[in-house]
Amino acid sequence: MPTVYVLDVPENRPVVEVASRDDRVAVRAVGPYTRLSSSAPIVIDRRETGCRHAVWYSCLAGLAAGRVVQWDKNALRVEAS
Amino acid sequence: MPTAPLPHLARGVDHAAFPTLDPAGTIRFYRDVLGFPVVHSICAAGWGPEKHPDFVHFFFDIGNDDRIAFFHYFGFEPPMVSARGDAFARFNDEMPSFYIASRHLAIHVESAEHLNEYQHRLDLSDWPTELRVQHETIESIYTHDPNGYLLEITRALRPVTPQEDHDAALSVQALLDIADAGDLTLDALLRRKAELIVAHAEDRDPLPTPERVR
Amino acid sequence: MDSYRIGLIVPSSNVTVETELPALLRSSADAEFTFHSSRMRMTAVTPAGLRAMNVQRERCVIEIADASPDVILYACLVALMAGEPGEHRRAEGLIAEQLATGGSAARIRSSAGALVEALRALGARRIALVTPYLRPLARKVVGYLSAEDFEVSDWRALEVEDNREVGCIPGDRVMASARDLDLAGVDAVVLSACVQMPSLSLIAPAEDELGIPVISAATAGAFGILRGLGLPTKLPGAGSLLSGSYS
Repeated sequence: MPTVYVLDVPENRPVVEVASRDDRVAVRAVGPYTRLSSSAPIVIDRRETGCRHAVWYSCLAGLAAGRVVQWDKNALRVEAS
Repeated sequence: MPTAPLPHLARGVDHAAFPTLDPAGTIRFYRDVLGFPVVHSICAAGWGPEKHPDFVHFFFDIGNDDRIAFFHYFGFEPPMVSARGDAFARFNDEMPSFYIASRHLAIHVESAEHLNEYQHRLDLSDWPTELRVQHETIESIYTHDPNGYLLEITRALRPVTPQEDHDAALSVQALLDIADAGDLTLDALLRRKAELIVAHAEDRDPLPTPERVR
Repeated sequence: MDSYRIGLIVPSSNVTVETELPALLRSSADAEFTFHSSRMRMTAVTPAGLRAMNVQRERCVIEIADASPDVILYACLVALMAGEPGEHRRAEGLIAEQLATGGSAARIRSSAGALVEALRALGARRIALVTPYLRPLARKVVGYLSAEDFEVSDWRALEVEDNREVGCIPGDRVMASARDLDLAGVDAVVLSACVQMPSLSLIAPAEDELGIPVISAATAGAFGILRGLGLPTKLPGAGSLLSGSYS
């Protein structure tokens, strides 16, 4: 089950918000981080988050049971490894 | 990993020194365009085991009593492999630009107004602003000085939070761990960091980082 | 016996420091010394003359460091003591930085700093001075030493402005001034607070006569050089400072 960790700072909140629109994504606080895990691939559309590039490319703090298959100006996609 | 925090005794940059082949351009840029006061200079020769030419070493204040300093060696023409790079290091075409631009000096300003002021000063000079960009939590302008050194002037968009310090400590520990394990990839870093995030989820002051300066 | 190179940075009109320091140090039983000078143009001992001289310091350091000296003595006391309190530490620091930046291993002393160092080594608190200077400059020297926590209980100014004439002040005139000082409670006499006013031959007789330690800018300079080199501070016939009892 792919799992990512995102540091809970204001710039990253749109990332969590967009990711959690998928009902399969479970959201839980782990220390100062937000843990996103899903039974399906986690897909986040960058334009929907409105994040600047610098924020976008530094939003991912940790990765478990998954691998990044796409992380570009369009989307971040993490699948089960 | 140290068991107790070491006292953090350092107090910022005294000076950072660079060679210059263009002392006139350097003085015009730092003193006249940016308005950094000249605060110190030394004339000397090479008296040590390695003889070197007569030189002048001169300093500009960059705020906070920190200084940027330059050496000019009279009559010295360094063997340079190409025109790519700066007065300290030159590179052939195999070297990608991102690597050359990675080494830079960033000077802090207090506000958007002050950043705008320096952008204005640069834009009226022979060394105009090349780029203005918002990073995660800072906004910066960039130019290359007359020596080819990349100079950044930056302001904070907001204060750095404690959880960001915590995150940085975990990143650096993860980097150390994967380096020791001989697996230096971003994928390994993110995996190791996920483990550290879970392990340190409950404690608020989890890693033995040096004490912060008040 | 080890040989050491001593670099002297002297006012251009000075002749005494190049006479008295070699006379002092060549009597050492512990080492041999050679002397090498660089000169800063100066003839009139006035604030303007001293300012014009001080801007030549950097050039003189470069010249003398080319000779790879072991110790450099910046040998103009009043040039530093006419400045702000602690000026000798500032000047020595700047010269040390200049030397270190160029990779020179030379140590730096100033006659002003050496005088303070010698008085401290003697444990002196109350002192008396004979100077060749005009009274306003002499008062500057007194104030400078007061700022170093010495109590200057009495002093004389011989008021010779031309530095060439300072080198010719007769010994009996210096001694007459010393005898005239009120020495009640005084721990040490600075017989010549100037490296140009000759006094070396007077030090030992004056000490016998006055009964307290007598030093000069020259004996203090020799003391500082020997200390800087880690050598015994023992030179014959140069007063108790250089008896080997103080280190």
